[in-house]
Amino acid sequence: MKKKGQIKIQQTIFMIIAVTLLFVLVGLFFLSITLNKLNKEATSLSEKNSLMLVSKLANSPEFSCGDSFGSNRPNCVDFDKIMSLKRNIDSYSELWGVAKIEIRKIYPSTNNASCTNENYPNCNSLKILNKNVKSLPYDSVFIALCRKQASQSGPYDKCELARLMVSSEDRT
Amino acid sequence: MINKKGQDEMVGFAIIIIIIGVIILIAIGFLVNTREENAIQDYEIESFIESSLQYTTDCQDSLGFISIRELIIECSNNNLCLGGNSSCYVLNYTLSRMIKKGWTVSPQSSIKAYEFFAMADNQSIIMFKEGNKTADYKSGIQSFARSGVEYSTSLNLYT
Repeated sequence: MKKKGQIKIQQTIFMIIAVTLLFVLVGLFFLSITLNKLNKEATSLSEKNSLMLVSKLANSPEFSCGDSFGSNRPNCVDFDKIMSLKRNIDSYSELWGVAKIEIRKIYPSTNNASCTNENYPNCNSLKILNKNVKSLPYDSVFIALCRKQASQSGPYDKCELARLMVSSEDRT
Repeated sequence: MINKKGQDEMVGFAIIIIIIGVIILIAIGFLVNTREENAIQDYEIESFIESSLQYTTDCQDSLGFISIRELIIECSNNNLCLGGNSSCYVLNYTLSRMIKKGWTVSPQSSIKAYEFFAMADNQSIIMFKEGNKTADYKSGIQSFARSGVEYSTSLNLYT
């Protein structure tokens, strides 16, 4: 009789543990779904922030083509202006609140040379800002990298495909 | 006899709990580890098309070198470049190379295939593609109008 009672108690304890375990697992399941949703929202927000930051830069007066290459062009960066900006970058280093800004030519890409006053415009990449701080991975957008090109019939507008890459400071 | 039956029930219940637990843990693992492997964002494709349209091609008309945007219009009118090349040939040649340089398209990369369309008033001007299409894709569209004709370009990247 005593033994039967003990088994009953054991059964009850086992049931309580099993049911608790089940609820914990179900709870974990819903928690993971919620975390997954949060993760997606965070990715989406980060994507929007990246877009805003890089687009803001590409269309800022210091970078954009303005009306130099015909009517107002979106995502157009004036290469001549950028070279001039690069020479005076110390005055602008805190203006955009970012750690690194780089432009890489995508097409046509002739060599891997970094742009200097000597090899411009026959170069492939230009580090406009390169702060010596811990930085996040680059966010980037494609841009039309435009400049005035000399030719026998006079200067003309030459636009190439490039990527504007921006990296924020990692404050964590 | 009763004890034995109770023990059997307990073992059965334990097995059910273990099976449910394993299924839930696998589901949790799957959900938590589902990361956005597809790093391509829609805005990147949009910016690619927008910037590509401004690219200065090797095709010249009477006013000078023309952009991809102008080249699409020339191609829809079946015009030739000053050098004698077909505008559609130059368009195809330039854009396909730009896409290959801009995106890594291969069975091993995150982009398995691409498809590019240019249309004038919903009629296809040019279309080219590469790779094996999959069910998942991201796309970008840019439209512009000239002389009452609406042109649109779209790029689909299959991941």
